[in-house]
Amino acid sequence: MKSCMKRRDFLLGSLGALGLAGCARPPAIRRRSLVSIVRAPEYSQEVYGTMRRVLAEHKLQVRGRRVVLKPNLVEFEPASTINTNPILVHAALEAFRSLGAEVAIAEGPGHRRGTLDLADAAGYFRVIPDFENIFTDLNLDEVSRVRLPHPVSRLDSLYLPNTVLGCDLLVSMPKMKTHHWVGATLSMKNLFGLVPGGVYGWPKNVLHWAGISESIVDLHSLFPRPFAIVDGIVGMDGNGPIQGRPKPVGVIVSGHDPVAVDATCCRIMEIEPSRIDYLTLAAGLDRLEAKNIQQIGEKLEGVATPFDLILELRSLRRVSA
Amino acid sequence: MDLQNDNGALEKIRAAQNPDGGWPYHKGGSWTEPTVYALLAHHAGQAAAPRASEALAWLRAAQRPDGGWPPRRSIDQSTWVTALVALLPPETIGEERYARGIEWLLGQSGMESTRAFRLREFLRKGEVREGPDESGWAWFPGTAAWVTPTCLGILALKKCYWRQPSTRLRERIEAAQAFLLSRRCADGGWNHGSARALGYNSAFYPETTGQALLALSGIDPALLRDSFDLARGFFRECRPPGGAAWLRLGLLAHQQLPAGAPTFSMPSRTLTDTAVTYLAQRAEQGYNVFAD
Repeated sequence: MKSCMKRRDFLLGSLGALGLAGCARPPAIRRRSLVSIVRAPEYSQEVYGTMRRVLAEHKLQVRGRRVVLKPNLVEFEPASTINTNPILVHAALEAFRSLGAEVAIAEGPGHRRGTLDLADAAGYFRVIPDFENIFTDLNLDEVSRVRLPHPVSRLDSLYLPNTVLGCDLLVSMPKMKTHHWVGATLSMKNLFGLVPGGVYGWPKNVLHWAGISESIVDLHSLFPRPFAIVDGIVGMDGNGPIQGRPKPVGVIVSGHDPVAVDATCCRIMEIEPSRIDYLTLAAGLDRLEAKNIQQIGEKLEGVATPFDLILELRSLRRVSA
Repeated sequence: MDLQNDNGALEKIRAAQNPDGGWPYHKGGSWTEPTVYALLAHHAGQAAAPRASEALAWLRAAQRPDGGWPPRRSIDQSTWVTALVALLPPETIGEERYARGIEWLLGQSGMESTRAFRLREFLRKGEVREGPDESGWAWFPGTAAWVTPTCLGILALKKCYWRQPSTRLRERIEAAQAFLLSRRCADGGWNHGSARALGYNSAFYPETTGQALLALSGIDPALLRDSFDLARGFFRECRPPGGAAWLRLGLLAHQQLPAGAPTFSMPSRTLTDTAVTYLAQRAEQGYNVFAD
């Protein structure tokens, strides 16, 4: 058993290294990352059609592939905007299924241990048929150790859930929220939910001690090409990600490049992306520039709305939208 | 023990045991935490687990050379679950193994209470912490102390202290209790960790509030009056069974559980919730695995 585990660790580490090597190879001409902003004024039946159009715009080829939708579940507050809305997740589930994918939902909350109870309180059981059978609690999943080939944080390896390591496409589905430590929590920060609480605890404090922004970048390096769908229909501003206030924005922001998606979300929130440490660490300033992102759908100026920032984050405010 | 009156908890637990002897949280492979809770539930029920020897063999094989236990056997790091294993009767896992587990626990503390961290904070911010020595336990070595692992560490060391009192154990328990008292939220309960973050008060969690009250048994009740009121008031709300069970255990430890307090009918979705709910039920019947 032990030797088998080591071999698997090695293989997974090698896969990660290969993935990174592919990522690090400088392209002859860097293509601009495609990011779409679509209007979705409320959590209604219309979101289902909107989601199908979003996937069509991004030309996702997922027939026969295993897709894992990873929403953001944080707290037992059904009336608040802490969690990714289950209607959006169900719409994504239906849209990916219509493209022929085998779809699962998975999440590993950072604070609360009763993941299924949390999902229940957030409305997932009510909205998504057969939810319990397609859901995996990533905090308690089978795990494998993955080596970080070029860590930015103090971590050199991480145990990660096999459900995510074995999928063909990870879809990060965060809520558009402010975050009192790192400024904004979006598709990249959402990857913290992949780290198993069953191994590291609740919260996953090992990531904090290794450097929050740096850990975000390290996790991103292990999943460099996920798909991101940000729930910006109603976000959260103020003292996010838990104690903030609802912030209606009426958008869904999507794309294959989490850095570009998150940078675009920051601009919508009127936060300067170049002042978000994990974005600059992951991509450098150049890649964050609007001119280097191919944005489709709604124009940024038409949807941007200032998210209220706590005093400690005021320096992140974007001066010119 | 009348198994007809346990709401089927022990049968449910037995049915979930894996072929390797351990238990999963929900389904899948065996983990240390649910395996310990399954054994504690049988202990509380004064019922022999049909395959107890296989479960104990699983636990013994999981112990690491440093004396601690990992969350599951394939993980090469001892963590907070060591405190859980130390809640089992020492003779079940073996006295020598138990003693090594206690030593591992005594050697651990949250990073924020280490001398190196305090020196760094002094050099960076000029901060010198005053007051009683506070030292809790982390979920994972090399990180900060949090409420749940600290509570379980206290409970494990208390059981050890009752068997073999020592100044070393008493001082460590007191330092951990001081940590808990310092982390109490403004509402009287306990969050998973900090009472405040960036100037904002944290709200209590039922499970950590119950665990903290249980770990603070023996403390002057006048210090905990707000906590009792909060915990009792929470019974009027319907919440997940694990949190409700810990609240019952916590209030019971201080003889503050109201007579006729409602029980919760929400289904337990993990084996640990099933077991903790059963442990609370048995504690109310006089068989408390956390008490002397």
